[in-house]
Amino acid sequence: MIEPTSTSLWPLLMTSMRRATRRPFQYVLFVLGVALGVAMMVSVDLANGSATKAFQLSTDAITGRATHRLVSGPGGIDQELYVQLRRELGYTNSAPLVDGYVNIPEFGDQPFRLFGVDPFAEPPFRSYLGGVGAGDGGPGQFNPNALTTFLSEPNSLFVLSSLAAENGIPLGGEITLDRAGEMTTVTIAGLLDPQDESNQRALSGIVFADISTAQEILRMQGKLTTIDLIIEDEADQAAIEAILPDGVRLENTAASSNAIQQMTAAFELNLTALSLLALLVGMFLIYNTVTFSVVQRRPMFAILRCLGVTGGQLFQLILVEAVILSLLGSLIGLVLGVILGRSLIVLITQTINSFYFVVNVRSVIVDPWSLGKGVFFGVAAALIASFFPALEAYRTTPGSGLRRSTLESKVEGLLPKLFGAWIILCAIGAGLLALPGRNLIVAFAGLFAILIGFALVTPPVTVTLMNWAVRPMNALFGAIGRMAPRDITRSLSRTSVAIAALMTAVSVIVGVSIMIGSFRGTVVQWLDQTLQADIFISPTSATANRVEGSLNPEVVSALTEWEGVTASSTARVVQVFSPQFDRPITVAGVNGDVSQGQRPYAWLPDGWDHDDVWNALATGDGVILSEPLVLREELSYPPEPITLETNQGAVDFPVVAVMYDYSSDQGMIWMGSDNYQAKWNDTEISTIALFIDENGNPDDMVDDMRRTFAGRQDLVINSNRSLRETSIDIFDQTFAITSALRLLATIVAFIGVLSALMSLQLERKRELGVLRATGMTLRQMWQLSFLETGLMGLVAGLIAIPTGFVLAWVLIYVINVRSFGWTLQMDLQPAYFLQALAVALVAALLAAIYPSFKLGQMIIASAIRSD
Amino acid sequence: MSNNKIIRFENLKKGFPEGNRIRHVLNGVSIGFDEGKFTALLGPSGSGKSTLLNLACGIEEPDAGDVYIKDVAITQLTDHDRTLFRRDNIGFIFQFFNLIPTLTVLENIILPQELAGKKRRDIESAAIELLDKVGLADRRDTFPDRLSGGEQQRVAICRALAHDPWLVLADEPTGNLDSKTGVIVMDLLLKLTSEAGKTLIMATHSPQVVTLADRVFRVQSSTLVEDVEHVPAARPQFIEDA
Ligand SMILES: Nc1ncnc2c1ncn2[C@@H]1O[C@H](COP(=O)(O)OP(=O)(O)O)[C@@H](O)[C@H]1O
Ligand SMILES: [Mg+2]
Repeated sequence: MIEPTSTSLWPLLMTSMRRATRRPFQYVLFVLGVALGVAMMVSVDLANGSATKAFQLSTDAITGRATHRLVSGPGGIDQELYVQLRRELGYTNSAPLVDGYVNIPEFGDQPFRLFGVDPFAEPPFRSYLGGVGAGDGGPGQFNPNALTTFLSEPNSLFVLSSLAAENGIPLGGEITLDRAGEMTTVTIAGLLDPQDESNQRALSGIVFADISTAQEILRMQGKLTTIDLIIEDEADQAAIEAILPDGVRLENTAASSNAIQQMTAAFELNLTALSLLALLVGMFLIYNTVTFSVVQRRPMFAILRCLGVTGGQLFQLILVEAVILSLLGSLIGLVLGVILGRSLIVLITQTINSFYFVVNVRSVIVDPWSLGKGVFFGVAAALIASFFPALEAYRTTPGSGLRRSTLESKVEGLLPKLFGAWIILCAIGAGLLALPGRNLIVAFAGLFAILIGFALVTPPVTVTLMNWAVRPMNALFGAIGRMAPRDITRSLSRTSVAIAALMTAVSVIVGVSIMIGSFRGTVVQWLDQTLQADIFISPTSATANRVEGSLNPEVVSALTEWEGVTASSTARVVQVFSPQFDRPITVAGVNGDVSQGQRPYAWLPDGWDHDDVWNALATGDGVILSEPLVLREELSYPPEPITLETNQGAVDFPVVAVMYDYSSDQGMIWMGSDNYQAKWNDTEISTIALFIDENGNPDDMVDDMRRTFAGRQDLVINSNRSLRETSIDIFDQTFAITSALRLLATIVAFIGVLSALMSLQLERKRELGVLRATGMTLRQMWQLSFLETGLMGLVAGLIAIPTGFVLAWVLIYVINVRSFGWTLQMDLQPAYFLQALAVALVAALLAAIYPSFKLGQMIIASAIRSD
Repeated sequence: MSNNKIIRFENLKKGFPEGNRIRHVLNGVSIGFDEGKFTALLGPSGSGKSTLLNLACGIEEPDAGDVYIKDVAITQLTDHDRTLFRRDNIGFIFQFFNLIPTLTVLENIILPQELAGKKRRDIESAAIELLDKVGLADRRDTFPDRLSGGEQQRVAICRALAHDPWLVLADEPTGNLDSKTGVIVMDLLLKLTSEAGKTLIMATHSPQVVTLADRVFRVQSSTLVEDVEHVPAARPQFIEDA
């Protein structure tokens, strides 16, 4: 065929525009479908990105030009090492730092990083201390007045000037630093005003003091957290390494911040996958609307073909329409995404702070790359979904104004193939999931394959169910009951896509609900077994789920000797570097088991029981690993000894048990407190659990303790019950974001059903007109509408039940294990499945209201006239 | 206006918006139809014949004026009552057969009665009898898309007559059929309605059919004018009685 030498799509696009102004609803739904899908993707991406970026910025700002740093175990580095470094090695490219988290009530309830620095050592590393105070000292120089105060007066602080201004604290004003519940009043001696945006942002989470003030507040007298270094050649590095005492390690700054960021990778990937689901559901919607627009214009296309328009031009027309509409939808999606991202970032930050590391995020950082990605995915999804309808348009022949029935008979031929596709996709999915290793992306690919497989099997299942439904529906509702299932089958190309969209969304609801429910059940049971003590005490901490700082020793002895307390179990929780895994890991030095032998073990050496394990801990080098650590590091059973960096150098600890633990996905190691104290010279205590005598009332004792310690230290004192409640609250808060995303996917599916119904009823307008003319009352027409959509919802709900179950299975036994290393017991409750049916039915019935209402307004004669 | 007419149009007006003005299709039609008679409506395409029939059965509402059927002003009824009235009294035959594709031939025929709440077993035999009369008894479980145009229209006639309405409205029922098939369908329609003494109003182009009508009206310059010179011919029989 010879293509015309010059072609223009303009006249064709003009007809599209006409149509859009006359029948805007379909186009609106298309745009909305894209917008919601993109919004969800972009919001998750922005929120994830903002958290990462905030972390990076603060790390970069803190790291400055340091290439390496000296770090140590929980006790800190003796500051003598710094002196030695400068005096003996003459290494001046070094700066001492003391650093820890504090709360500042005057600045709101986000955690701040307190940074103790030596102003004279700082310039090679960090320049933003340069512009302190009113005078401009130039880079690397301090304003003399501010500097004098900073150095001469204890408890003086430098903070970001905008931070002080926002919270109404002037230069010279006082604020309170709350470190693990101990309050210190400090004076603002200088205001930092870095010129560039990223330093501004980074500094908004940091306050500066001089070394000795920070040591005082953080209770680290004579100690440093790190010594920053700029090392330019290997000889220097070797010289430094030669003088390091045991327990102090030279670390590469870039590598370590990378390792910390890796912690949240699985968490963020899970969110991204969930957000992609909305786009998938949105694609069904787009496919539906575009198919409809092609089918409806088929007579016109046939005429256009007679007039010399090529099939290729029609193909282009459909795709160009898709691009224009999806661009519009994507742009709206970006705006929605940024708005939504603001709420998500709060939820994400909470989770990151609870489980991973402290990050202070003040706003969504709108990354153009995220936005670009959103538009790209929006348009790509629309193009993919429009491809087959565009092909239909391409195939329009001048002669045939191919009618719907032709399309439907094509669908009929497809049914066995769809059934086959289901089997193949499920097999592929199962294969991907069965692949060895812990790759999460492969697991999600498997999950999506299965999900798409189930979506594809929807049409054949619908046909079968509708054939079965005719008889009972006829018996129940007469002629109308008979028509409803047949109508669904007849418009299968349309109805089944809507059903598939709804089914997908509902199955995600079922799957995620089962997963969260099982997770919650498992955690509740675990808490029941583990938390046997009656009262738990820890210092207040900057974040909900982690312990920072330690208890005052006087408080500890007062508590253990409290009247009515029969026994106690203490724990020191710290981060320790593991050369074996090349990352820090949480170690708890414990004295006694809070579960009192109630907890189950994931692994015990042959013939051992609970007492053997805890004896090995109390009297020897034995350690217990948490299950996530074993899974995460792919350790084999029985586990080999674990190597940790101690103050006596690297030490191997034999593993005497593996236990379930749902408090951290990074893994945890328990050892006896004597063992811990010997290895790290650290006698501090982070938390203490008290057992009280049988007649005691824990709530009364908690009140007593709070009263007693009110003036001394701001402790968190929880009864067993309230600690459990707090733990469950943290759990629920962590999954709040999942619920929000789940809801969004349902909204997209709802719009899908609505759009399908609108197009169906538009198509059947004439038929419905005839029905009305031959005596169908308005009420009967509503009845027909609701029976049809009710059946569609029911089918979606029914298919969603097995799909949701499979999804839950994959989430619990594959995704969760690979992401977080948690073993969950699947907890199936009929309520989840009833909920699926109810959601599907209600969504479908709600979607029927507007189209039915529109139909009620039709003028019967015009409906019959229309073609 | 004489009150012995079974159907009366009183000053009926109907227009449709065209651009930003209204085009009047019917502008003050006042006329009556006799009970048990066959009235033919003539007029060029686009003159307003369909509009008139639509107004008569209440699937379109006039801008002004009233339609009385058996002294009931159907234009004053609510949509619901008008639907019930139509269901009980009127049978309508469309130019494009307009069968419901998801229902079988038999189900299409009994649909109006089923919608009226009648039990299938009570009405089936009468419908089958009717199908037999139009020669399609053996196709009762077929779906409409398997039937030819003529067959579909015969089913449509059965549907219009199944609930035994006294008034039948037909809008160019043979307009979409070839002439030979048209003759067969038309004959069936006339036979079934006249035998039962039903009132029939039909829009048509066919001169042959017009000669058979008792009265003839023409739509002319937005009003109805009776063809007073029309003399009804004796009805020939195209098909032998069974
Ligand atoms: N729903 C409508 N909207 C606009 N114009 C209409 C509508 N229905 C009918 N018309 C116009 O009214 C006129 C009469 O139509 P119709 O009654 O169908 O004529 P006929 O049946 O005699 O061919 C035509 O010009 C037609 O375009
Ligand atoms: Mg007409």
